[in-house]
Amino acid sequence: MRRVRRLHWLGLGLLGLQLPGLDTALPLSWGAIALVVLGALKLREARRAAELRRMSLLLLVATGVMAALLPGLGPSLLQVLTTLVALAALLAQELGDGLLPRQLLGRSFRLLAAALPLVLVLFLLLPRLGPVFSVPLNQAARTGLSDRIEPGSIASLVAIDAPAVRIGFEAGQPPAEPERYWRVLVLNRFDGRRWERDAPDPPFRGTRPPLAASRDELWLAEPSRLPLLPWSGRGQPLQSELSVGSAGELINDRPPGERRGYALGATDRTSDWQTAPLSAGAVAAATAFPTGANPRLEGLGAGWASGQSPERRLETARQWFLSQAFRYTLQPGSLSSQAPLDAFLFDTQEGFCEHYAAAFTALMRAAGVPARVVAGYQGGRWVPQLGGGGYLDVRQSDAHAWSEVWLAGVGWQRVDPTGWVAPARINPGLPGSTERRAAETGPLVWLQQQWRGLDLRWTGWVLGFNRQAQAALLERLLGARRDWLGLLLLAAVAFCLAVTLPLLRWGQNRGGVDPLRRELERGLVRLRRLGFEPTAGEDLGGFCARVAADRPELRTPLRRFANLYLAQRFGPPGSAAEQRAARRLLGRLLPRGLAARPDQPETG
Amino acid sequence: MPQRVVEHIGRVLLGKDREIRLAVACLLARGHLLIEDLPGMGKTTLAEALARSFGLGFKRVHFTSDLLPADLTGIGVLQPASGSFRFQPGPLFSQVLLADEINRASPRTQSALLEAMASGRVSVDGVSHELPRPFCVIATQNGQDQSGTAPLPESQLDRFLMRISLGFPARAAELALLAGQGLGSEALEPLLNPADLEELQRRSAAQRAEPALIAYVLDLVQLSRQAGFNGAPLSPRAAQALLAAARAWSLLEGREYVIPADVQAVLAAVCDHRLDGGEPGSSSSRQLQAGVDGLR
Repeated sequence: MRRVRRLHWLGLGLLGLQLPGLDTALPLSWGAIALVVLGALKLREARRAAELRRMSLLLLVATGVMAALLPGLGPSLLQVLTTLVALAALLAQELGDGLLPRQLLGRSFRLLAAALPLVLVLFLLLPRLGPVFSVPLNQAARTGLSDRIEPGSIASLVAIDAPAVRIGFEAGQPPAEPERYWRVLVLNRFDGRRWERDAPDPPFRGTRPPLAASRDELWLAEPSRLPLLPWSGRGQPLQSELSVGSAGELINDRPPGERRGYALGATDRTSDWQTAPLSAGAVAAATAFPTGANPRLEGLGAGWASGQSPERRLETARQWFLSQAFRYTLQPGSLSSQAPLDAFLFDTQEGFCEHYAAAFTALMRAAGVPARVVAGYQGGRWVPQLGGGGYLDVRQSDAHAWSEVWLAGVGWQRVDPTGWVAPARINPGLPGSTERRAAETGPLVWLQQQWRGLDLRWTGWVLGFNRQAQAALLERLLGARRDWLGLLLLAAVAFCLAVTLPLLRWGQNRGGVDPLRRELERGLVRLRRLGFEPTAGEDLGGFCARVAADRPELRTPLRRFANLYLAQRFGPPGSAAEQRAARRLLGRLLPRGLAARPDQPETG
Repeated sequence: MPQRVVEHIGRVLLGKDREIRLAVACLLARGHLLIEDLPGMGKTTLAEALARSFGLGFKRVHFTSDLLPADLTGIGVLQPASGSFRFQPGPLFSQVLLADEINRASPRTQSALLEAMASGRVSVDGVSHELPRPFCVIATQNGQDQSGTAPLPESQLDRFLMRISLGFPARAAELALLAGQGLGSEALEPLLNPADLEELQRRSAAQRAEPALIAYVLDLVQLSRQAGFNGAPLSPRAAQALLAAARAWSLLEGREYVIPADVQAVLAAVCDHRLDGGEPGSSSSRQLQAGVDGLR
């Protein structure tokens, strides 16, 4: 019992390890947390066998819930381990303390292995459910990105070194460092202090643009509250639940809050959102500027507006920024709520990307150039993988904001004022790059990076098998006869059981019980069918003699059976061939049909 | 050969094959035997027949309350000629000693005997004297007549490998006895010699005991130590005794390996007097045997 409880505690511990990964915005997450907490409370007081048995089942259920919530590689491995432990606990309870820990583990492994074909069939064929659990959107972001920017409201920014996105490139190499801009949000509405997103695009109607045919990039984004995903701004998504909004945002139809793996194709093409001509309404929205909120900024911008082309105005702004004594810092202090951008541009002149992007975009609008703020990630570190390839590791601390300016004939042009002020922030190859990157060496970090790369590949393989991939597989398997899916599923499950059950039997035969002992059990079962049961503590010779007294016709085979078995069990071991022959003889001495012919004398 | 000894003694002690077999097994396992029975049941006959069959020296001491240790071990006798003491060995210096009614002696005398049984030597006046080999004590005690006796404490009972009781003979056996078909033990010819006995003792100790068999012995012993078991826990010496006796029994069965049936055959004789603190007629070993799966 103590061992069972220890195994239960171990299983609960393994589940507990996964709890921090849960997204508390999902109702089911609370269910999982409650299961683990209640399980621990129950286990504290559970003593009876029935309670402990239920505890094992609870562990298995909780593992299933976790698997639904956390499909990544690390959690998946933990879940497999938890299942092993729960099964071992169940086995330890059912089979008593006779089994060594090694045997327990081996048996759990075999159980798990036996379930594998079934898992595979269900994974491939069971229809995927749509989004079941809806999540309230637009809560305060936990990640480095939020859906509004308000310079001056944050006095200091803590660099969160949590992973944000991993990107694998089919071509092998990532873009050059100055080109690594991963857009997420486009902030188009400006009220003098803060930049906000436009109202989301109306729900998509009509035909979607065709999905890309082949994969160029594989993305794995950590959970976020936004219904948007990072991307490079080029190419097309491969999954139908992803679409590109008119502002160049990659919109995710599935509820956010879970880790998302997605693929992009045709990334060598310029996308429509970038070059499509602006409507008059769009131009008005992109130049809207609340007058009087930041008078000095307004005056400076208006000064550039007269008689210059937009390109000239952009260049003038760049020269102005370079001429000022701006300083890049993550601790700029707060700005006055009255005209914060004025305070930043002309008084403090200290800030990080948000300050520069917000102020520069406002300046451009004051100068009459359509402009907007883009928030996302910039940079990322290339991590080479063992066995070739690699991935780009983008962290939450790589969160960045920059501007886009509309230039006729060019389209939306990316402008990053932070890069003018602090080139090292944008291009870590330059001297003076931040220390964080220098510190990232050592075997532990290397291991972690390799692990993340493995995780990315796992996602590519397993999570990439989505509804479309499944539909394609079914199409190949069934053609147009989709109604037959149920039949196919049944057949596959039946096949799995047919494969699995013998496997389990085979496992039993090899699991601790030796073949000689099995012959004894067989003989006992056959005698039991005749109505003879060994009494407590009776030995084989005594039992056989007792049966023989009642069934004299069986005396000879019974005596031979007992003597042969005892000689094999307790006598000097013969060669392997002799042992096999003896076992065969044991099986024949008390044959299966013993009960069917009680009157026929046995001559053995 | 050992089976023939059993038949041989059976010609003297009629109808007591099983008890004879146990007694021989005890001798083969180098153990000492405690026979608990009424007077006139053939205890002396058995002991004498055992000694004679193996050609061993045999002495008998009837224990009384005034028996002193020196009466058993012997004393130093003054030699007037040389002025020195010469050791005069007592009855302990024999190969088979029948200690009749051992529970009538004082605890002090009992201790002297049991010490000699355990160590195989005797110290008198500071000089150590080796006892002859093989050395076997067959003690008897009368369980029913308790007045004026000092029952052996449990710790000393543990030194006896087996406790048996002969019991009344079956009617047919007693008939044969009365008809004069039994031999007098003094008429018994030696069948073997002491060297043969030592050889048999060696063979007995070398009988094959597979791990599965030893596990069975261990299960029995450990069951006796579990809470809720009705009896005193068995000591490791008891476990050794059980295995040694089972080995000797398997040799008598003509097998070269031990099976659980051998253990069960000697279980009551080896364990009952240890389990129940020497109460006469106890049978806790039955509970023990029923508690452990004998189908191995």
